[in-house]
Amino acid sequence: MNRRYNAAARRRMIEWAGMLLVAGGVLCAGRAGAEDPAQETRAVDQDVQDLKKQLVDLNRDLFKLEEEILYPASTQVAVFLAVNTGTFFQLDSVTLKIDDKEVANYLYTEREAAALRRGGVQKLYLGNLKSGSHELVALFVGKGPHDVDYRRGATLTFEKTVGAKYVELRISDREASMQPEFVVRQWD
Amino acid sequence: MRGHDHYARARTEALIHTLAIAAAVIAGALAFPLAARSSTSPVTVGAAAPDFTLKALDGRNLRLSEYRGDVVVLTFWASWCGACRPALEAANSFAAAQGKDGAVVLGVSLDGDAARARSVAESLALKYPTLVDARQAVGRLYDIDALPFTLVVDRDGIVRGEWSDGVAPQADLARTVAGVGQ
Repeated sequence: MNRRYNAAARRRMIEWAGMLLVAGGVLCAGRAGAEDPAQETRAVDQDVQDLKKQLVDLNRDLFKLEEEILYPASTQVAVFLAVNTGTFFQLDSVTLKIDDKEVANYLYTEREAAALRRGGVQKLYLGNLKSGSHELVALFVGKGPHDVDYRRGATLTFEKTVGAKYVELRISDREASMQPEFVVRQWD
Repeated sequence: MRGHDHYARARTEALIHTLAIAAAVIAGALAFPLAARSSTSPVTVGAAAPDFTLKALDGRNLRLSEYRGDVVVLTFWASWCGACRPALEAANSFAAAQGKDGAVVLGVSLDGDAARARSVAESLALKYPTLVDARQAVGRLYDIDALPFTLVVDRDGIVRGEWSDGVAPQADLARTVAGVGQ
């Protein structure tokens, strides 16, 4: 009987201790939160930043995956445009033809032209081509020296092999003749 | 004999009914693509306005996305569209009423010939840039099937209002612009 009473009392004490612990924990947690809201805000900020980073990474991975699926290396052709100085030529537009088919026609705003002059490189075209010989024609339109309308073409015949093909269109200044120069070359 | 007439009349009526049903089916089939196009149009209120670059009559190339941060009113028109002139005049008044931080108004002419667009813009003394969509590429991008067509694009590039086939009511336009400009 006594032993049974002791067991019941012990159980009751354990129950009470448990309840007190839970209540204490809740109170402490509440006080901790109330005491340092700045820390809590920092933690939420950190979570949001982590989430944003994950989203950016995911977006980048998806973009890469999309590019790999739509433009596999075996058929991929990318054309880039770069401008060196650009004193003698104010770029207005570039028309790109591959095998006599227009694949890109890009008009440049003042901001875009300025970004290119500052060293930016633009991916003008990304597409697929079969292996073999192809002809690329780029037509540059803009203002030449003395603000004169200027149109120039540049041609490149290239061999598309198994790997991805990168072609660069470069506009640079030819100081000797004070004229712009348009170069098309392929990257190995 | 009377029975024969009755039979012939019934046959004629059946033929007319058949033709009427066939006409209804053809009309439905013709109407369906229009309905389907409008439901899948990329330009709806709440959707992002498709980006484009066009040459303005003053020679500049303007890109819509470079106006992020501004509220933009886009008015599509053509010189052959009679109803477009009142819309252009209304857009001109609206543009003149905008202050330094007000909405940007851009006109997009779907004329194949820039000279026609210039002639109209000069005759109406348009104060806002007129862009020329000579290839109608932007017109197709925006799925325009009636002119004039007016859009309000908010600071984030989202379409907040559209009016087609008539002059956008000035009060509605002003209310929409004021609503998204805050």
